[in-house]
Amino acid sequence: MPSSLATLRRVTCRARRSSSTLAAVAATLAVAGCSSGGSGESGDADGEPRKGGTALVAMTQEPGGMNPLFNDQSGSFLSFWAQEPLFVARPDGSFDPVLAAELPSADNGGVSKDGRTVTFKLRDGVTWSDGKPFSAEDVKFTFDVIQDPKSTALPPSAYDLVESVEVVDDLTARVRMSKPNPYFLGLFQQVLPKHKFDSTAVTADHPQTRLPLGTGPFVFEEFNEGDKIVLKRNEDYWNKMERPVRLDGITLKITPDAQSAISSFQRGEFDTVFFVTSGDLPDLTEARDNGAPIEVTVQETRSHVEWLWLNQSDNGDHSRPHPVLGDPAMREAIDVGIDRKAVIDQVLDGFATLNGSVFYSGFGATEVPVAPFDPERANQILDAAGWDRGGDGIRAKDGVRASLRFQTVTGDQTRELYQQLVQQNLEDIGIQVKINNVPSNLMFGTYQEGGRLARGNYDIMMSRDGYVVDPLEEGWAANFTCAEVPSKDNPGGQSETHWCNREYDALVKQAAESVDQEERKELYAQAARLLARERPALSLYSSTWGWTWSSRLKGVSKDYFDGIWRSAHDWYLAG
Amino acid sequence: MGAYVIRRSLQAIPLLIGISIVLFAMLQMTPGGPLASSEAAGGRATAERTERLREEFGLDDPLPVQYVNWAGGIVTGDWGTSYNTGRPVIDSIVDRLPTTLLLTGLAFAVALAIALPVGIFAATRQYSAFDYVSSGLSFVGVATPSFWFGLMLLFLLSFELGWLPSSGLEDLREQHVGLAAVWDRLSHLIMPVAVLALIATAQLTRYVRGSMLEVLHQDYVRTARGSGLPERRVIVRHAFRNAAVPVVTIAVLMIPDLFLGAVITESIFAIPGMGRLFIESAELRDYPVLLGILIIAALLVVLANLLADILYGLLDPRISYE
Repeated sequence: MPSSLATLRRVTCRARRSSSTLAAVAATLAVAGCSSGGSGESGDADGEPRKGGTALVAMTQEPGGMNPLFNDQSGSFLSFWAQEPLFVARPDGSFDPVLAAELPSADNGGVSKDGRTVTFKLRDGVTWSDGKPFSAEDVKFTFDVIQDPKSTALPPSAYDLVESVEVVDDLTARVRMSKPNPYFLGLFQQVLPKHKFDSTAVTADHPQTRLPLGTGPFVFEEFNEGDKIVLKRNEDYWNKMERPVRLDGITLKITPDAQSAISSFQRGEFDTVFFVTSGDLPDLTEARDNGAPIEVTVQETRSHVEWLWLNQSDNGDHSRPHPVLGDPAMREAIDVGIDRKAVIDQVLDGFATLNGSVFYSGFGATEVPVAPFDPERANQILDAAGWDRGGDGIRAKDGVRASLRFQTVTGDQTRELYQQLVQQNLEDIGIQVKINNVPSNLMFGTYQEGGRLARGNYDIMMSRDGYVVDPLEEGWAANFTCAEVPSKDNPGGQSETHWCNREYDALVKQAAESVDQEERKELYAQAARLLARERPALSLYSSTWGWTWSSRLKGVSKDYFDGIWRSAHDWYLAG
Repeated sequence: MGAYVIRRSLQAIPLLIGISIVLFAMLQMTPGGPLASSEAAGGRATAERTERLREEFGLDDPLPVQYVNWAGGIVTGDWGTSYNTGRPVIDSIVDRLPTTLLLTGLAFAVALAIALPVGIFAATRQYSAFDYVSSGLSFVGVATPSFWFGLMLLFLLSFELGWLPSSGLEDLREQHVGLAAVWDRLSHLIMPVAVLALIATAQLTRYVRGSMLEVLHQDYVRTARGSGLPERRVIVRHAFRNAAVPVVTIAVLMIPDLFLGAVITESIFAIPGMGRLFIESAELRDYPVLLGILIIAALLVVLANLLADILYGLLDPRISYE
């Protein structure tokens, strides 16, 4: 059964690809047009915003629960419609207060001199959607749950540095850190309502982990497994005078086949799709230009980068470098030998940009030049390093053939296409590449489960990563440090590349502990240049992120880091 | 007959135990595990979190201990908790089972309603145009991959013509009442049921026709005709009664197939049934849910076999199980 299902997905993908190739020219032309719209796109032209109606959102991946503190699947991300954060991130990595009254800083006394104590002042008059007042007790309780070894919370790594949370008064919480924590604004993206819990030992069977109560513009009403998740307007929303909520509710319909979800959406069956990838954008812009009642907009800044992880261990053995990829000349040759422009133009229909930096989004975003495509130079580098071509054109050095496995998650037609381009590029410079993709679960499995990345059991693997508000978010910068190299003694290590470089470690450590934001930026820029020089990972492209919604849905904007989703409390339906 | 049913039921117990051991072992042998993080989550999970979950799920226990814990739970009604949702497995299955039973039941009814008259009619008019056309169509039906048929229906009736909704079981934008509500439900069911019923209908038509043809050439049918009985009575009373015996067996044994076919149908049409639950749990290596569904499927196969044997005895007095 599963095999025929995989075939199903492949068939639908192929059908989609051929249609988009036909329209490649039109789609590429449309890129310029689709960046219009977006911010400030209120529905003035359609008259006064109408109250009422339900927005129907197709959701392609169903999460186990809607509380991100207990669930890390992408769908739980939308919980902010009900669960508001203390602070919300903007596209440039700066933050606005939501449940907090102000941004703590050294100037307003919110941050202590040593950077280890932060005082959060909370907004007055905020109530949970059940009418109970929101207070500093809830903030403290949230941290207590995270701390409780008997709870199954999955806190973001930003909490690692937090030592204690203390209630100063109803509207003031003081947070102490073990080290200065420049990313303190990323804390408390969710707050748990203390009055809904008996103890801090919260496990996944607690109803609040599935449908959390929040303070937000919408309230979770129903989670019908495999079918739908229903949100209704919070009639007593604390901020309704300033930001009235127009929709009666939002219903998330689980539609696991992303291709049919998008086709149905284009016909008007849904108001938007959570979420579309850059591979969907050519078809969507084409449909819009052919008169489908939909809007498409793309993000101007960089989005998720596709990485080639170059294994720096010998099959998980850290005492020896990788026989082929351990040679810096080999890594450099691969870097200049890949025609990234062709990948972007021929496979992605232009919906991607070149990127050379490990830090490409939010606060740490920095420019690092991309290695220009130059197969001749690649050949020269390899010749000079002693990798000589054999009779079959494949290079070898000291009896080691330049033959590499190139793997990613199975079943992604678009990726398979550019994998073949990369394969051809590398074979042109005498490196043999075998494409042998694996199920997601095998690639990303933990060390104990024998995950390929964790065990270092691969040559080149490819996945998207690092789209973060701050390099400290989810430990993205730390991911490349020696301490994160997974091994028998360190099974929780998160490094994909098994790379270890003391200079990088020092830069990242300093940046993580500095409270001077300008200095942090500079340190991350240095670290990014170092990583680009050493090449344990190569950025293939940064995808163009976009969103699409039906023309009857108004009030959509993309003022926040997460795109259009945060604007839902301004959404309304055209009359 | 009563003793036979009891004996067969008792025999099913060691069979189910054996199946459960094989299922349990095979799931453990699949590469990867339930703690793999997704690419969407950035592929990162802290060591403490993984440790905590391993402990919570009991993944560090030796396999025989895990098996005994699980099998004991199955018997006592505690089917475990989903790794993914934290909900009891029984709850998830109870939520989804009615949908799948509705689909399977409707598809079975449709298959019978088409296959019986068409098969009988084709057999009584062998080598007629009707026979050729129906045989041809049933060959096509048997040979059509159901996922392809589903996608084609979806493309044509939903995306191109816009006649039928493409997913789910109800209109989520508006509440309908009265006839509109009936049509709302029907319009969502037409394509999934058609896809699920396609192969069963085609196969069953062939069996009915074949079985009837065999019987129609028997002496007693000629005798019945010769004694001046009306043709209709000959066909329905004498011929079909006998032709039905093998058909019933085949039809009952098709029920587990239909149930499993729901995996594909539910995925294509985004219907929240057991099949979808199975696929999603397989992707996440949600062992408790997977095992729960597989045990139900095994039970269904065993029951269908038992039912087929019993019906056989009831329909054919020559067969005795005593």
